[in-house]
Amino acid sequence: MTAVGLVAVTAFCVALLLWVVYLIRQDRLYAGYGVIFVVGTIALMVLLDVPPLLRAVTAASVVLLPVPSLTLIALVALTLLVVYVFIQISVLSNRVMRLTQELAIRNPDYHNVETGPSGPR
Amino acid sequence: MSMSTAPRHRTLVAIPAYNEAATIRNVVERVRQNLPDSDLVVVNDGSGDSTAAMLDGSGATVLAHLCNLGYGRAIQTAVIYAQRAGYDRLVTLDADGQHDPAQVRALLAEFDTRQWDVLIGSRYVLKREYIGVPFGRRVGMRLFSLLVRLMAGRRVYDTTSGLKVIGRQTFASLTKWQFIDFHAEAIVYLMRLGYRIGEFPITVDERRHGVTMYSALSHIKYPLKTALMVVLGVVEASLTRKRPS
Repeated sequence: MTAVGLVAVTAFCVALLLWVVYLIRQDRLYAGYGVIFVVGTIALMVLLDVPPLLRAVTAASVVLLPVPSLTLIALVALTLLVVYVFIQISVLSNRVMRLTQELAIRNPDYHNVETGPSGPR
Repeated sequence: MSMSTAPRHRTLVAIPAYNEAATIRNVVERVRQNLPDSDLVVVNDGSGDSTAAMLDGSGATVLAHLCNLGYGRAIQTAVIYAQRAGYDRLVTLDADGQHDPAQVRALLAEFDTRQWDVLIGSRYVLKREYIGVPFGRRVGMRLFSLLVRLMAGRRVYDTTSGLKVIGRQTFASLTKWQFIDFHAEAIVYLMRLGYRIGEFPITVDERRHGVTMYSALSHIKYPLKTALMVVLGVVEASLTRKRPS
């Protein structure tokens, strides 16, 4: 990869990391999904910054032809799309969680020792 | 069960339960015997077995999650409940019967005497060794203990203990942010906010029924998620205004 390409991909990785961290902090992205991006992005950055490692992975993945930049753009777009989908899932999941917690708290079921469940009061 | 009209400190004992039909009744009865002055709430976290039926006539208040939200959210439900009902402290206990409710009195006494904000019932604080713990878990416990020390400046030996006393002053912080399991990530977050967190020695029994909440995959996912949340907790706490001392 050229120096410009390296800088561009590293900049994208850093931006993605910061965005993911921001989203988790805002409770808009579930930490379990966030960790996928954080680990993946850090792995990619390590791979890019250690040329022998990149060469080894390239050889191991039997890449015969250089990847066209158009493919990289598609990969970036796909990554952003996946983050967006995870955000939407996290937002809905958070709503369900809050609703479930609120229902539980507002409708406590009191179980008397003598008479069994008596319902909320 | 009515809300306590109780004396000096209103205490709520909370037991998060997920598919614990085999043990929950016994745990509830032991809590009622040993802590008659405390109110008791069971957070039934979407159990698919007969946990709910086992609680009939037990004297416990049940907060029922319609679906399984996980241990951390179950504890958070209890914290929100305790906060809204005006309790002074919340005691969390595992539903699998590993914790002896008889030890809670000593824990509460220590909590009051030393004025802790959170007191953890610790299996390892006395020996400071993870003896008898399976190798993989031992490595994890050491790593998280080290992580807490690195991030919060003080070592906590038992970051995964389910037996805790939580003071009301921390309720707001604990309901504001997401925590996975109320373990290392919550400990670091609270310590960085300036709360005092202590450990008090306890003993635990072996689990006799049911299965642990950690699946094979979670042995990889859990450390990664927790480590990320610990780091984010430090950031979050730094951005949050410190409580007045």
